[in-house]
Amino acid sequence: MAAFAAYTIIGLSLGGIFSLAALGIVLIYRTTGVLNFAHGAMGMFSTFIAWQVFYGWSHPFWPGWLSTFLAVLAGLIFAAGMGLFLEFAVFRWVRSREPVVKAVITIGVLLALQSAASLIWKNNQYHLPIYLAPQQWVWVVPVADVPIGANSIAIIVVALALAFGLGAFLRYTSFGRAMRAVSDSPTSASLWGVPVGKVGAVSWMLGSLVAALAAILITPFINFDTTSLTLLIIDALAAALIGGLVSLPLTVLGGFILGLLETYPTIWIQSIGFPRLVALVVILAVLIVRNPRGFSVAAK
Amino acid sequence: MTSRLMFRVLGALVAFALLARIPVGFDVGFKFDAALAVIWAFGLLSLVLLTGYVGQISLCQATFAGVGAYTAGMMVSSVHVDYLVAVIAGVVVAFALGVIVGLPALRLRGITLAIVTLGIALVFDRYIFQDHAFEWFTGGTGGWRVGQATMFGLRMDSSTHLMAAYLVLLALFCLVALLLVNLHESGAGRRFRAIRDSELAAATMGVNLTRYKLLAFGMSAAIAGMGGSFYPLVAGSVSPQPFWLFTSLQFAAIAVLMGVRYVPAAALGGAFMAFVPDVLTRYGHGTFMGHAYEISYDWFQIAVGVLLIVQLIALPDGVWGDLRSRVRHARSAAGAVGGRRVKVA
Repeated sequence: MAAFAAYTIIGLSLGGIFSLAALGIVLIYRTTGVLNFAHGAMGMFSTFIAWQVFYGWSHPFWPGWLSTFLAVLAGLIFAAGMGLFLEFAVFRWVRSREPVVKAVITIGVLLALQSAASLIWKNNQYHLPIYLAPQQWVWVVPVADVPIGANSIAIIVVALALAFGLGAFLRYTSFGRAMRAVSDSPTSASLWGVPVGKVGAVSWMLGSLVAALAAILITPFINFDTTSLTLLIIDALAAALIGGLVSLPLTVLGGFILGLLETYPTIWIQSIGFPRLVALVVILAVLIVRNPRGFSVAAK
Repeated sequence: MTSRLMFRVLGALVAFALLARIPVGFDVGFKFDAALAVIWAFGLLSLVLLTGYVGQISLCQATFAGVGAYTAGMMVSSVHVDYLVAVIAGVVVAFALGVIVGLPALRLRGITLAIVTLGIALVFDRYIFQDHAFEWFTGGTGGWRVGQATMFGLRMDSSTHLMAAYLVLLALFCLVALLLVNLHESGAGRRFRAIRDSELAAATMGVNLTRYKLLAFGMSAAIAGMGGSFYPLVAGSVSPQPFWLFTSLQFAAIAVLMGVRYVPAAALGGAFMAFVPDVLTRYGHGTFMGHAYEISYDWFQIAVGVLLIVQLIALPDGVWGDLRSRVRHARSAAGAVGGRRVKVA
């Protein structure tokens, strides 16, 4: 029972990270019609920037929180810049092309980013202990004797807050309305004076930021290298598909469900590859049960 | 029609004759690259059929090649059969897996199919090719070692008889490429292209979507598996690394880059994929203006990614498709100026 509860906590933290990663995918897909296979790779590159700042450039006499803050800040600033760069250098030029072509372009982005990172940081295993809340803060639930780290709670809270924050931003602000208008029809939105280019740029920047946040937050859980964070894409896609590539709340729910589904089997099956099988089964189940044509809403 | 067929058979024979002599005189490394180039070209050819003809996306072609490789390795190492039998077994197993992968494709298309095949490639890469539970199939961490293999009673293992393996591979590739070119205008080829243009319209015209989509996936997987099943012969053993997810992604990227609708583009892409990284790692180091530099394999993949992006923005039909249309344009222009009529097919 205690083990089960402990795995639930791990699963929910993991689910929070999947939700964050999936939110970025849904945001970019809804507003620009690009299904971003490079989402994991973008998060990966930003995480390595954060790692570089944390271990390479920070001064040993700085307090731990300052190094952490600067590292996360550097990673996020880089991510925003990369999102903007991709929009201006690549995706602006293919706006009217089919969704499949845009998706294949993101595979090119994935390959380039992954090998650039592997060129700079080699194929070593890294660890980056970035915690949102101090590690020492642990509560023990009296019923099941399970320690709950403040960091796990922080991740879950951040995921929920971002999902509802983004949802509110899309629903209640004028720029959010502009983004929804572009996702419905870029042509008529531009006829109504909506700045389509600006909307695309902001979507890519936000999506890239969220990807970086997800990848940085997963680092205390795992030893990562250039491929393992890139491959986070499949879990993020599974969560995004549960939300139908449209709904933000359902995407977050999907992320948590997937996190739990991938964590519980590790009680019995010690295999690094098995969670990938769980993700594939979830993807297949979602796609075959739901009407696949429902996913072409924002695909222009 | 018949003259066109004769022309194509002649073309395949000439291509075989020219390509067969090229690796002679080079060192073992380049001979290995030549054989590897044909194996990768099979993988790209499988995408010409699946994506170019039938319009289905797949990001797991290296998985089919890997399954072919492991099956062939298992057959030779543990059952000690003739390599021809091992190749046939590899092709059959890859075909079966292709049909299974094709089942979800009956309800999916476009990017959703890309997501599913990406997941399949990842599951095989991280789980089936690497986990202890599948050691009976993958031969454990060392993989299957193919020390001495015979085909038609001839020795053709990697240590001494690499050229023999290369010639068999090349002959098979020319044959399969010829069959694919001819498939394009056959009845099945017309049904495939009808599915590519519009599944709804194809079904309305009486094309059995289930049968032809599954057939396309099976045939495509069999082509990739045919190349892959020669991998243990050429490399001496099998390991998960050559057939991991990033090879599948490179297959998709390079097939699109070279021109996914054209059979010769697959040969071009295979050579690109095998020779460029090796040439880079061999000669790409030294000093330039006092600074030591080293160009590693990673630069190849960066180049593939960047070239793919540039190509999709600027040359949507791929490198081969663009060259082809330029040559035809130049020929018809020359015909108009010189008064010599050139038939533009």
